[in-house]
Parts: sequence; C-alpha cells; structure tokens
Amino acid sequence: MIAPKKITLTIDGRKCEGQDGQTILQIAQANGISIPTLCYLKHLSPWGGCRMCIVQIAGSPKVVPACSTPAPDGKEIITQNESLQKLRRSTLELLFSERNHICPFCVMNKGDCELQQQGYRHGLDAISIPYLYPAWPVDLSGKYLALDHNRCILCTRCVRTCEEMEGTHTLDISNRGAKNRVVVDLGVTFGASDTCTSCGACVAACPTGALFDKAAAFRGKLGTCQTVRTTCNECPVGCGLLVYTKENRIVEVFGDFDSPVSQGHLCARGRYETWAEPRRRILQPLVRKHGKLEPVTWDEALKVVRQAAKKATAAQKAVLVSPRLSNETVATLKKFERIGMFVASNEAALCANNDRSPDAMAKLHDADAIIVLGAQPSQAQGVVAAKIRTTVRVRKAKLLVFHTRKSDLDRYATICANVVSLERKFWSRVGEELKDARRPVLVYGPEAMTPIGVAVLERLVKIFETRNAGPAPALIALPTSPNSLTLAAGGIEPIEEVGPWLDAKPLKFLQIVASDEPDGGARLLDEKYVRALLEEIECVVVQAAYESRLTGLARVVLPATIWCEKKGTVTNFEGRELPLQAVLPPRGEARPDREILEAVLK
Amino acid sequence: MKATMSDKPKVKVATVWLGGCSGCHMSFLDLDERLVELVKLVDITASPITDVKEIPDVDVGIVEGAVCNDENEHVLRTLRAHCKVLIALGDCAITGNIPALRNQFKLEEVVARGFVETESTQVGDIPAAPVVPALLNRVRPIQELVKVDVHIPGCPPDADTIWFALTELLAGRMPKWTEKNLCYD
Repeated sequence: MIAPKKITLTIDGRKCEGQDGQTILQIAQANGISIPTLCYLKHLSPWGGCRMCIVQIAGSPKVVPACSTPAPDGKEIITQNESLQKLRRSTLELLFSERNHICPFCVMNKGDCELQQQGYRHGLDAISIPYLYPAWPVDLSGKYLALDHNRCILCTRCVRTCEEMEGTHTLDISNRGAKNRVVVDLGVTFGASDTCTSCGACVAACPTGALFDKAAAFRGKLGTCQTVRTTCNECPVGCGLLVYTKENRIVEVFGDFDSPVSQGHLCARGRYETWAEPRRRILQPLVRKHGKLEPVTWDEALKVVRQAAKKATAAQKAVLVSPRLSNETVATLKKFERIGMFVASNEAALCANNDRSPDAMAKLHDADAIIVLGAQPSQAQGVVAAKIRTTVRVRKAKLLVFHTRKSDLDRYATICANVVSLERKFWSRVGEELKDARRPVLVYGPEAMTPIGVAVLERLVKIFETRNAGPAPALIALPTSPNSLTLAAGGIEPIEEVGPWLDAKPLKFLQIVASDEPDGGARLLDEKYVRALLEEIECVVVQAAYESRLTGLARVVLPATIWCEKKGTVTNFEGRELPLQAVLPPRGEARPDREILEAVLK
Repeated sequence: MKATMSDKPKVKVATVWLGGCSGCHMSFLDLDERLVELVKLVDITASPITDVKEIPDVDVGIVEGAVCNDENEHVLRTLRAHCKVLIALGDCAITGNIPALRNQFKLEEVVARGFVETESTQVGDIPAAPVVPALLNRVRPIQELVKVDVHIPGCPPDADTIWFALTELLAGRMPKWTEKNLCYD
C-alpha cells in the first residue's frame, strides 16, 4: 500500500500537518483548533449542510464548509474573523427562527443541546428576523424514542446514523424548502414503522431535542450525570455501554464509542430494555411459610437453604444456572456436585465446540459476501445484524440467508432460503453468487447444528471447495445466550431440555440461579413437564433479580443483582474478555450471584 | 459617600409586565440585598412592583412578557415613547416563548379550547366585554413592534445576569454578552 501523501497548511496562522484526503476540519481538530459544527459527527460521512463550520481559504472569495472540503496543500485557512462570525451568527438566527426552539421546556435544555451551546458561544441574545412559529407534530408513538419536529434543525445526523450504523434507512428527509422534514419510512410514525428496530442510535446522534428517549426525558442534564463504562450482557456480542446516572438512578444509556466490539452502536435490548422496561425487582429474601412467600432476613433464608441442602445427599442436589453469569462465578459453581446451564435450543452443540471468532465484527465489516446460516441476529444479536446490514447496504456486500424462520435480513439478501431447496438449480445459483467472493464470511447460529443446518453447511462447503480460486470463508459462531461459551468451557454442562436432566436423577434440592434473566427464568416452565418435576422437588431455591412464575413456585427466593450492579468479566463471541462495571449499588438487599452461591456452600 | 450619591440625579426606571408569568420580575426581586444598593442609584416609577400604573418619562424601560393582546401593545408603545433605553427582560419578550405556543393554532381554536372545551367547563362563554383586551391573532416578541436596546435572555434571567446588565448600564456601558453570562444553570 502507498502511504498517503503528507500535506502542510496554515490554519489561523499555525502550520498544520495532515494527510492528503483529510478534510480541513479533521486537520484543524487534530491540531487543537476548534471550529464550530452542528451537522458533523466524527463517525458519520460528512454532510456539509449546516454551514456552521465555514472557513475561508486565503485567495478565494468563497467560504467553504471545513467538514467536507479536502484540505488544500500549502494553502492558508482562516477559521475565525468578523465576517465568518457574522455568517455563523446569521446561520444560527435562521435555525432558531425556522422552528419552535423554545428552550425552557425542551428535554435538552441547559447544556445538552448543541444548538443552544452554539447560541451561547456566538453571544446570541436575540435574533433579528421574525420567528415563523410553524405548527409541527410530535411523534410519541415509538416504544422508546420520540420525534419532535419542532426542535429539528435538519442536520441529518439521525438519517446518516440510521443508514451507516443501523443500516435500516428508516429515517430520511422528505419534502422541500420550509416543508423539509425528517420522515420515518415513507411518512409513517415510529410506532407504525416496520423497519425501525428501536436501536436508538438516532437519539444519541441528535444534537437538539428533536429525537429523544421517552424514559430519559427530563430526568436530568447529562452534563451533570456520572458516567460509567460497562459491557452489555444481554447477548454474546458484548457491546460497550456508557451509562449516565444521577442520584442512583439511570438517566440514559448510550453506546460506548471506545468499545472495540460495537464502536458506539447498540440494539434496543442493550440500550433500552434493561432499564426502560418495567420489571418487578425482588428486593429481599423470601421464604415460603404456610404456602406463602414471606420476607425474611438473609441469615434466615440462608439457614433454610443450607438445612435443606444438608438433608439431601450429593446425588440429590443440583444447581441450574443461567448463561448470564460472569467468568468469575465458574470457580464457585464447580464446587457444586451437579451443575447444569440452561441454554437455547440447539445451542449445546455450539457451546461444546467453544468456537470463538476473533475480530468477527471487523471481518463482517470488511466482508464482500456474508452467509447467515441458522442464526437470527436481528432478534438475538442486534448489533451483529446492524453490522451485516451496513456491510450489505453501504459497502455493497452480497448477503445469503439460510434460515427456517423469516427475519428482517431477508429483504437485504440476494438469496434467501426459508425453505431449503435441494434442487441443483438453486445450489448452482448459490455457487454463482459466491463465485467471486474474496472476503466471504459465514455466520452460523444454533440452528446450523440441526440436521437441515448441517445439510446446508455441507452444500456450502462443497461450493467453496470446488471454487477455482479465493479463500475459504471466515467462520463466525453466533450463540444466543450471553456467556454460555465461557461457562461451558469452564466445565458447566449446557442443557437444552431441562426436563430430562431433572428426571435423570430425582432431586431433593435444586438451586436455580436465574440471575438477571429478564423473564426471571420463567421460560424454563414453558418446557413440558418441568413444572411438575419442579413441584416434586422438596426444596427449590430461586436466585433471581425479577419476580416471575418461577419464583412463584420456589420455597426460597434469593434476590440477585442486575447488570448495572454487577462486577466482573464476561467473554464475548470474539473471545474478548470484557469488563462488567458496577454502575449503581445493589438495590434493596440484592447480592451478587457469586456471593450468594458462596454463602450457600458455607 | 452619601454626599456624592445625592449629587447625582437618580436614574428613572419603569417596568411593565406584558404576556408573561411574572417570573422575570420575581428574578429581579432575587437581586435580594443588591436591591438596597440599586434603589440608591435608581428610582423605580411605574412598575407591577410599585403598582404605579401611569408611565412617566424615564431613562430605562424594562419589559417582561410577549405581546399577546391590544393592551400589551399599547403599554409597550407607550413605554417606548417615554424611555431612552428599552430592555427586553426574559425569553417571552425576546422570543415569544411559552405564550407564543398558541401561534401554531388559529385564534378561534385557542379561545374555544380555553373557555369552552376545557374539561372542567360545563357551559363555556368566550369573554366579549369591551373592557377585556382583545387577543392578537399572533403572539409577538417585542422587538417585532418596537426598537429594543438591550436583551436579557433567560426563562427567567438569573438575578446575577440582571444585575450585570443593570450595573453596566449604570456605568454608562452597553452590556456585552459572553458565553459565561448567557449560560447560567
């Protein structure tokens, strides 16, 4: 590769070095020179629409936007003078007059709004043109996010985010002139959109109060919040979270742009479901007395648990855990005689292989053909789905989807087989599509382990083997449960069907560690016979954060901490060890899973 | 000190309260002990605080609120005619702010919603007596009607900001806003 040419230019009298192809803004920022911006965001393609970053190139009569103008070698750039200041101020006046930017009751008031900050920065005490006071609607129909057109400055940061980060292109701009507006799909509300995934990346990108989180609105100014970086533990991707808190409450969750995995992006599960969904926390230990769960002290609850455990022989005791537990719990779990981990269907084989896919996200980013086999990233690993969509839509890779169930990825696929065909014609078409792939990637999920999945896999292997040239595809295993691979590698047996496992050795004591499973572990009861089998066990202890049908049939319920109260590490599907940081102190009397398990063992 | 004070004639000030919530006047009263210092230098004539209604010739006129009805407009124009320096105090006077929210609707819709369709109203009646000021079709910030010399933004402006503007004017300077004294919270 040829190294880019070095260029030198003078910005505000200072000699600045950069590379050919960099914009004026990039070189200025790298040299600590601040130019006001509104529509610019570092991780998005430049737009040059707001005209706040205008600068002068000496010798040229025009002003140019610094964010989208390639830096001219050897030239002199002026970023600050009276006429530029005047032009920027006029731009702000136009923006303020165009819609209803009434700060006193805006969700972004007092510091979070970039438009307001620019107003302060440019000494804007009043504007010299009349306000238009247009009538714009507010769309509150979205589950988590809301769109207030009154606050919109049409910077298109949301539109570019939707296209370049989430890859759904739900948002765009419609109409012309003063009627220009952000539009959802072809003019529907967020609630009616069938492409919006509620990832919330647009909210994080919005410089004003136009796009905001309903749950975060008026909870406090982000500038005065504490921030903690932690890892999302809802799926095996392990995205970086930047959590804003105030007075021991979560105010907002944004993606962490320093995360090597997600680079600032999140899905609805990681960004909203963990804190914006109403869930009933268990706040103190409960013991069943006369058929009813009664609150007790930790000492009393642990005494009941230990006594019940003592009464049972080693063979009659078992622990059944959630795959959400941290790496640090493995050693503690191994002290128990019989341990199982409940995983999703067909996931046990994936766990057994312990296939890690180093740099999977980077490989997906650079791929020119992506094959998705037996995985549902749109539902289970949203950020992987976003990566696939952007690679296909923005970077024009081919997408082939083999899955028995429909997903939103189907619409972006060149070949999509919901029903696997055995026809030779079909497979020769697949072969044709993959013929020229130079950086193919095969993403496979739990259902690749089913007989149908294996049959498709064999066909694909054959296609790649008989290809004349080109490398074999990079393989990316995509489990659905958060830390299942690590726990399985640590010797915890993955169990797809709990019923037979319980029935194999009749138990007297069972501790179910549901941790912060959103459903409290209740999905175990969806399996046939499990309820009846659990009812036969003398003592069922449920260690969980949330109330559920499962806690309803426990003899003892022990309150566990949730994602934002946990400390430790998890290992993601790429094999990266990622930190879990405690964002808040445990609520009520909740304790960390490991601490509870240790106490039970005593 | 006292001798020099009485040498200098006091600066005459009038304040008016148009379409606003009086929060800006409250913020003015938040000058607290500085009010004692202020009245040594200025004479507050007509004002909602003094309850003097007739506006005499003054040096400084201070306006809170937007122009919502014909009386607001009359008061504003009278003050402008009687003062040398006019100050727009707070966001309603400067941007229209909350009162201007009704600009998104037709006037008939607004009065119907307020006097007839309100959930707590059984038999509604739109006031029509000639003594009730007539609402303007559109709420306007004051600089759309008269020349404004100084803007003190904020909802409401901080007492410190008001103090800064007044002391600058008393010192014979026009207040120059910087990021620091515009952004207060």
